[in-house]
Amino acid sequence: MLAGYDALITTIALGAILAYSFHVVLMAGQLSLGQAGFASLAAYVSTLVVPTEPIAGSISPVIVGLPMGALVGAAAAFVVGLPVLRLRGVFLAIATIASAEMIRVLINNAEWTNGALGMRLDRWVTFDFAWAVVAVLAYLFWRLGPSRSGRAFAAVREDELAAGSMGVDVARTRMASFVASGAIAGVYGVMFAYFFGRITPVSFDFSLTVSGLVTAVLGGYLVFFGPVLGAVFLGAVPEVQNALGLEAGWIHPLVTGVLLLAVILFLPGGLSTLFARLRPAPARPGPDYAPLDALDPLPDPGTPLASVTGLAKSYGAVNAVRGVDLEIRAGEVLGVIGPNGAGKTTLVNMISGLEPPTAGEGTVLGVPIGSRPHRFAQAGVSRTFQHSKLFERLTVLDNVLVGTHVVSRSTYLRRLLWLPSARRDERRALALAWAQLERVGLADRAAARPGALSYGDRRRLEIARALAAHPTLLILDEPAAGMNHVEALELAGLIRGLADDGVTVLFIEHNVKMVLDACTRLVVLDFGEVIAEGEPREVAADPRVVEAYLGTEHEESEHV
Amino acid sequence: MLQQLANGVFAGSIYALFAIGFTLVFGVLRHLNLAHPAVFTAGAFIGIEVAARTAIPIWILFPVVALFGALAGVLVERIAFRPLRGRDDEHFAGLISSVALGGVVIALLQARYGTDPQHFAADYFPNRLFEVAGVRVTLTQLVTLGLALVLMLGLAWLVSATSLGRSMRAVAENPTAAKVLGVNVGRVTAGTYALSSALGTVAGALLALNLGQAGRDLGASIELVGFAVIILGGLGSLWGAMAAGVVLGVAEALTIHLFDSTWKSMVAFALLFAVLVLRPRGLFGHVKVREV
Repeated sequence: MLAGYDALITTIALGAILAYSFHVVLMAGQLSLGQAGFASLAAYVSTLVVPTEPIAGSISPVIVGLPMGALVGAAAAFVVGLPVLRLRGVFLAIATIASAEMIRVLINNAEWTNGALGMRLDRWVTFDFAWAVVAVLAYLFWRLGPSRSGRAFAAVREDELAAGSMGVDVARTRMASFVASGAIAGVYGVMFAYFFGRITPVSFDFSLTVSGLVTAVLGGYLVFFGPVLGAVFLGAVPEVQNALGLEAGWIHPLVTGVLLLAVILFLPGGLSTLFARLRPAPARPGPDYAPLDALDPLPDPGTPLASVTGLAKSYGAVNAVRGVDLEIRAGEVLGVIGPNGAGKTTLVNMISGLEPPTAGEGTVLGVPIGSRPHRFAQAGVSRTFQHSKLFERLTVLDNVLVGTHVVSRSTYLRRLLWLPSARRDERRALALAWAQLERVGLADRAAARPGALSYGDRRRLEIARALAAHPTLLILDEPAAGMNHVEALELAGLIRGLADDGVTVLFIEHNVKMVLDACTRLVVLDFGEVIAEGEPREVAADPRVVEAYLGTEHEESEHV
Repeated sequence: MLQQLANGVFAGSIYALFAIGFTLVFGVLRHLNLAHPAVFTAGAFIGIEVAARTAIPIWILFPVVALFGALAGVLVERIAFRPLRGRDDEHFAGLISSVALGGVVIALLQARYGTDPQHFAADYFPNRLFEVAGVRVTLTQLVTLGLALVLMLGLAWLVSATSLGRSMRAVAENPTAAKVLGVNVGRVTAGTYALSSALGTVAGALLALNLGQAGRDLGASIELVGFAVIILGGLGSLWGAMAAGVVLGVAEALTIHLFDSTWKSMVAFALLFAVLVLRPRGLFGHVKVREV
């Protein structure tokens, strides 16, 4: 039945391999389009090592070329990645396209590549060989999806700031996806060379990039076999047209274009959308929360956690924070209040690594101020944001699972080998995540997307995600903003409960009643400076504070 | 040497025309319209056909081509971008939908014109040769340069001084606020695409006039250089794109002069790469870096 379709089936496999090299960067949200260059380098270099005769009589000699190709592709991606990975979005896309074009021109002008004439090679890639490679790739991505690394990729794709604050090393994750993409592109290049039996610089021009990107996006990143879906679709459409008796020529590209357009317009997430819906809802683990007992104990009350002196931040001529000294001790609930623009958010951004200070120094849980966010997260700082930064295309449960990043170990390599310890670690992360969802009362929304939650529930979800990191110091930036009175009261109760569990809390809030209810110590900021600090009721009665901030409220309370 | 410089300026003015249409849409709407090269190609074919059928003079030909282009631009927006509005993958999906639509446009061109390149009739436009200070220029090149200058200055005037231009700048700054203040965002969007594609089709027809012919890969051949131009100029910056187009044209001409033509695109991309790494906002741009 397959007779006569060998070439088509192999072409589809090659299309899928190319698409995987785009899939892996798209998973991490990086629009990186240099794959054609990495593929061509790998293809040309592999011709230097691939033997001309089958190995041991029957094994395809390309088997030698594949690791070589992967290595060359990965190395090239690393070298290109060092300068370009600072770029984002369309700038990254165009810088990587430029790198591919430069490689093409170099190959075109080199002696050993035979320039524009290219090379003729033996055709060693058969369709079973090609599909074996696809199967290996599909396996690698299947095991990656629900692993700690797979979640880190998704978190970086959805929101880099939030990912960093959850302990994901954003720069490393982006580089990892970039290098993996280079390696897969390298494998593609070698397969291409020994399937078509001929390589020229033109084989790896911009149209290759477009076709790889289109295949990957068409397939979608929601399921691990998305690239295969895309390749089968694009490979099959011309065949189906032939079978229907449609003439070749302009009708084929027209139909392909229209179908592609239809998929993109009507199926966000590509063809994988059709399969992602089949996925079962996440199962709540039984009453078995035993793994949680193994979490590290939190520091004893009174232990100094953070100490900063002279912390300052200015944006041009605006001094947002001016010389703030702050000590935080374990077990306290520290409220930070102040008028709008007093520098509260800037202050917590500096002590969680989101912004470097312009002056001042200190450490938070041993991490020097000015380090990158994931360092603070790994040390035990976890935070929420004033404007919630949830991973919008992940489920509620997956959002919280990302939070477990810093208290779990990488499971990907062990998952590849089906080691039981990987399964244990994933179960533990799942139990930890479910426990937080229950803690904030969102367990029955686990399968929903954040977009479907009410405003108050979104804030709760952010808190659950932060708690999943088992933080020593939890920073909440206006957690009650937009909540109604009842929700705010519940939240105050939750915060006090956290303190009872030994979590140290620093929270910024405008709802003064809630702050006075929940905190054990109060700091008041105005114009970037600490104007009062101490026992909440006393501070609230301080005339300077009243003048700066509580004016009207104080008058009201006097009349009562 | 001087001759090479002049050739570079002529080539660069076409790059610039191609690129300002491209960068206009990005600057106002943050869309990267990858159907633009196909529209550019369509402009060349339409120009050749209209010239062959009606024998209208060249100063009527380009407005006619621009009309077709404006219409095509409105369609591109309606088909490839409007349905995606508000989706969380809007920018990303727009890349792919516009690639797909570009493919459809090229297929339609193939349906109408076949696979062979189309030619302007040899006597359509008298290609007189001038010699100024030892530099030879053709009439076509002069027309190209003149038209490109007029169109670019016209666009700059339109954006800075007319009510449509004001609305476009408002939408570029903040679409939501513009809408609240009563700007008809739908109309501005359509207008931006119409302008962009009109410029693109005229650029295509001009390039075809210079080459004497046009094939289906005309747009693809200039696409990457177009990227380089808009980045060098600073994404979304009109003046930057104009300047960068000429800079790149001259740089290419000099490379051909000093090395040979196989190194031509190396200069564009090495320059592009260096600028992106060292100065991501472009040589002239000050547009805010925005994610796609």
